[in-house]
Amino acid sequence: MFNRLKNHSRIARLIVLTPVAFLGGCADRPFWLFHPHGPVAGAEFHYLIADVIVLSAILLPVTALLIWVLRRYRAAARAPHDPRWTHSTRLEIVVWGIPLLTVGVLAYLSYQGVFAVNPYGPRVLARAAAPERAAAQVSAEPGAGLEVDVITTDWQWLFVYPSLHIASANELVVPTHVPIHFRLTSATVTNDFFIPQLVGQIYVMPGMRTEQSMIADRPGAYHGIDAEFSGPGFSWMDFKVRALPRAKFEAWVRRAEHSNRRLSFRTFARFARPTVNLAGTITRFSKVQPGLFAHVVAQAKAGKAYPTPYAFTEDMHEAKFLRHAD
Amino acid sequence: MLVHLPPPWNPIFGRLGLILHYRYNNPMIFFAFELVFVGAAILLFWLTCTRRWHTLWRDWLTTVDHKKIGVMYIVIGLVMLFRGFFDALMIRTQQAMAVGPTAVSFLGAAHGYLPPFHLDQVFTAHGTIMILLAVTPILVGLMNLIVPLQIGARDMAYPYLNAVGLWLTATAAALVMIALFIGDFSHAGWVGLTPLTELAYSPGPGVDYWIWAVQIGGLGTTLGAVNLLATIIKMRAPGMTWPRLPIFTWTSVATNIIALTSFPVLTAAVGMLALDRYVGTHFFTAGLGGDLMMYTNLFWTWGHPEVYFLVLPAFGMISEIIPTFSEKPLFGYTTMVLASMAIAGVSWSVWLHHFFTMGASPGVNTYFSIATMLVGIPTGVKVFNWLFTMYRGKLHFETPMLWAVGAIFLLISGGMTGMMLAVPAINYIVHNSVFVVAHFHNMILVIVYATFGAVTFWFPKVFGFKLDGRYGRRFFWSFTAGSLLVFVPMYLLGLMGMTRRLDYIAHPAWYPLLLIQVVGIGIYILSVIYFLGMLAVSINRRETRRVGADAWGSARSLEWATRSPVPFYNFAVTPVVHARDEWAWRRERGLTDLRPERYVDIHLPRNTVVPLVIGAFSLVFGFAMVWRIWWMAACGLVGVIAAVIIRSFARDTDYVVPAEEVRRLEEAAARAPRPDTATAAAGATLPPHAQPSVRS
Ligand code: HEM
Ligand SMILES: [Cu+2]
Repeated sequence: MFNRLKNHSRIARLIVLTPVAFLGGCADRPFWLFHPHGPVAGAEFHYLIADVIVLSAILLPVTALLIWVLRRYRAAARAPHDPRWTHSTRLEIVVWGIPLLTVGVLAYLSYQGVFAVNPYGPRVLARAAAPERAAAQVSAEPGAGLEVDVITTDWQWLFVYPSLHIASANELVVPTHVPIHFRLTSATVTNDFFIPQLVGQIYVMPGMRTEQSMIADRPGAYHGIDAEFSGPGFSWMDFKVRALPRAKFEAWVRRAEHSNRRLSFRTFARFARPTVNLAGTITRFSKVQPGLFAHVVAQAKAGKAYPTPYAFTEDMHEAKFLRHAD
Repeated sequence: MLVHLPPPWNPIFGRLGLILHYRYNNPMIFFAFELVFVGAAILLFWLTCTRRWHTLWRDWLTTVDHKKIGVMYIVIGLVMLFRGFFDALMIRTQQAMAVGPTAVSFLGAAHGYLPPFHLDQVFTAHGTIMILLAVTPILVGLMNLIVPLQIGARDMAYPYLNAVGLWLTATAAALVMIALFIGDFSHAGWVGLTPLTELAYSPGPGVDYWIWAVQIGGLGTTLGAVNLLATIIKMRAPGMTWPRLPIFTWTSVATNIIALTSFPVLTAAVGMLALDRYVGTHFFTAGLGGDLMMYTNLFWTWGHPEVYFLVLPAFGMISEIIPTFSEKPLFGYTTMVLASMAIAGVSWSVWLHHFFTMGASPGVNTYFSIATMLVGIPTGVKVFNWLFTMYRGKLHFETPMLWAVGAIFLLISGGMTGMMLAVPAINYIVHNSVFVVAHFHNMILVIVYATFGAVTFWFPKVFGFKLDGRYGRRFFWSFTAGSLLVFVPMYLLGLMGMTRRLDYIAHPAWYPLLLIQVVGIGIYILSVIYFLGMLAVSINRRETRRVGADAWGSARSLEWATRSPVPFYNFAVTPVVHARDEWAWRRERGLTDLRPERYVDIHLPRNTVVPLVIGAFSLVFGFAMVWRIWWMAACGLVGVIAAVIIRSFARDTDYVVPAEEVRRLEEAAARAPRPDTATAAAGATLPPHAQPSVRS
């Protein structure tokens, strides 16, 4: 099913994109959702196309019929008028049957899709475990891929690489072709982890742990977004994503390891104070205290909060606010 | 103080000292202040100059007449629609200005002119107002107006309760307006995202304003639902059996079952949130045993049925307008009734589609996905049935018909995107994006179109003259152009990956489409002008636009079988119903003479000030609770309870219009088909017996 969709979607992409491409302005490929660079986002895009095709097969003819009726039976057209024609059992069956059939097809599609991109173990990733990917395993990671712990604060992202003992704030760097497994939690309010070109959304909630998985197929820079409104600093809470070939990734890890910023439970508490990342600051940490993720979850469960100051962003130019800006 | 709050607080003024911290020098606030207070001053001045205080008091403020209550609901809704539109204007201009790191920055914003402190209030107020205080009141108002007429009743089952519902809605609207000037409004979205709404993350009074506006307004809507259901079940005219019930009344049944069963869930959820904020419980906090997703579940257990609460009456209106202007009965009446009930039934079991991305197991998401898509079946059936109603019909594109047909096109596109969102694999990439925002605006536009259609359709019934068609058409086309220019780019932006509620736009690629949306908003402003022009022109030339009982010449249901404007007693004698489309049935048999053979006494409810008093005390209560002025809240609550108790002892709550008087009024109306509208608005002036009795 999934593979067959691929061909359709290429045609559909042409049809959909041609008229709207020029609307996107000058940036190349502004429609992030139409240019997935990983199997999870790819599957999500293909389900989008498949769904649109099935729906269009019904809705376009209905729309055409509607327009035809509106023209044909306008009073001026003097078409036959039959005010007694108000019931037809055969038509009633058609009328219930067509939507029923459509929903049946879509329900099957949806059922498949749920498992294909299930954040707790997407089937498309299992399928995507091609030999080249196996060959590209990161040295520090003996198992099936790379673990990344995602911790959100008000209003920053912290990406902890527990097996590498490093962390990176507001930038996620991953090797290409390697399955990345995320565990996510929040120190404060609910956020929503989203990299449009690589993987769909998953909530990041305080005192709870969610998971997500993805693979980046191509090296490149991507945009990570906090999709769930989380308070005054929310709009500046996006993060950069870089997918690097294996060698470059390892070089990046080594640089992070040499960072003189350490991350312990105590320094995390300082990091988690309300901060609006106005300048898009990126920080790297070395020697991350093991168990930070579990610590944050436990603290949130125990009632730890990082309160938002009163009328925090009423004036973003004054010193009171700028103390919280990065 | 019950919970730990940052100071100031004192027993007399509660937290009111906080307002010294706000910056009232912001020109935006000044502008809003001007608009509201200068507007109110002009209104008061006009009322005094034209000596209308007495009329206002007697005919409107103390009335229990379902038609006037309906009109007042609609007026409140339109005023709040206007307020919500200003909010939209600000959101759109802010986003178009705040693109890229080098964006202009003034009025305390880092980018654009609205810092998050303001923008977050604006979009929260926009959503809360538009759903709960604009569209809901307008729909409740229309049901209030039309349902009793369609079933041949004299009034609602509980006229006094009806007025209580109205004034509670007005109180909620007043609280939201007060929040504009005294303190701030919630910053946490119209859905009240937890734990953002908890004290740690929203320490100000904003969320409290939101809580009490939602609670008081929600109570009003619940009472309205009880009333409408009781009316439809118990007050039908002889012969008005269930299979003859007009379709709009059927959709009102479905929609009020939804309201009655779902609003209490909202009340409970927001009530628990209030406990968290006021007495320090931990229902929805992140820690200490709280479960924040429980709130999300409860909110959408109400929230999803609520969106169908809104759309079902709209389906009813479309189903009334299309047959009238096709000169043909509705195709598949039984199917339409079944479809409405099916939509209501399914609407309770789909709430989780609003947070597929929570990380539930695949089984859960599959179930809610399929349940959601099931709603598409009865919705699709409705579209087909409207299509077959027009097939072999004789279509007249008067303004109501334009709105109804426009609504069908919108329903097709909104249904399509809804069916996309219902697939979790797709939802994961568009949830929380402006694609969702475009989807539900598309759907709510279905309601708005149907409602504008219904207002033009039933306006002559209520006021006795038609709205101007030329301005009506200009209004329609400019509104349509505005909608397309705002929402088509919004869909595209969603596919580009733009998420919702942004104060700052980091990606310049989104700029052109944001700009097109601003143009669309400009065209919306034009359409507002045409709307006001339509009202002005129609009222000015009303004498030449008078209509008879059947304003459109091809109307079908029972409400057209009485005079236009409808007299205060609705029907001279209780009608006897013979067929599903009673008026069409009578017209085909030439039985359109409205004079009855015999007049009888008419028994009607008497005016009362109690609902207004209840509304006033609940406003005091709500305001005091927001600012935690406990003594004042106690006074407000005691006032409400006392008013309810005192009223329950009132005996003299109704009066009789003698048969002779009815004859005199009917014959006078028949002789003078063009009465002066100043007194005829929404019915005729009340006879002396209708004065409020001293005791109640
Ligand atoms: C075929 C019918 C429909 C389907 C399948 C459908 C599906 C959905 C889905 C799946 C969502 C969740 C999107 C997300 O947040 O990820 C949604 C959101 C929404 N829909 Fe619909 N919908 C339908 C009809 C309607 C109607 C008739 C209305 C309103 C009258 C409506 C109003 C809304 C609103 C208000 C929201 C989201 C509110 C928010 O998040 O702030 N929908 N719809
Ligand atoms: Cu829903």
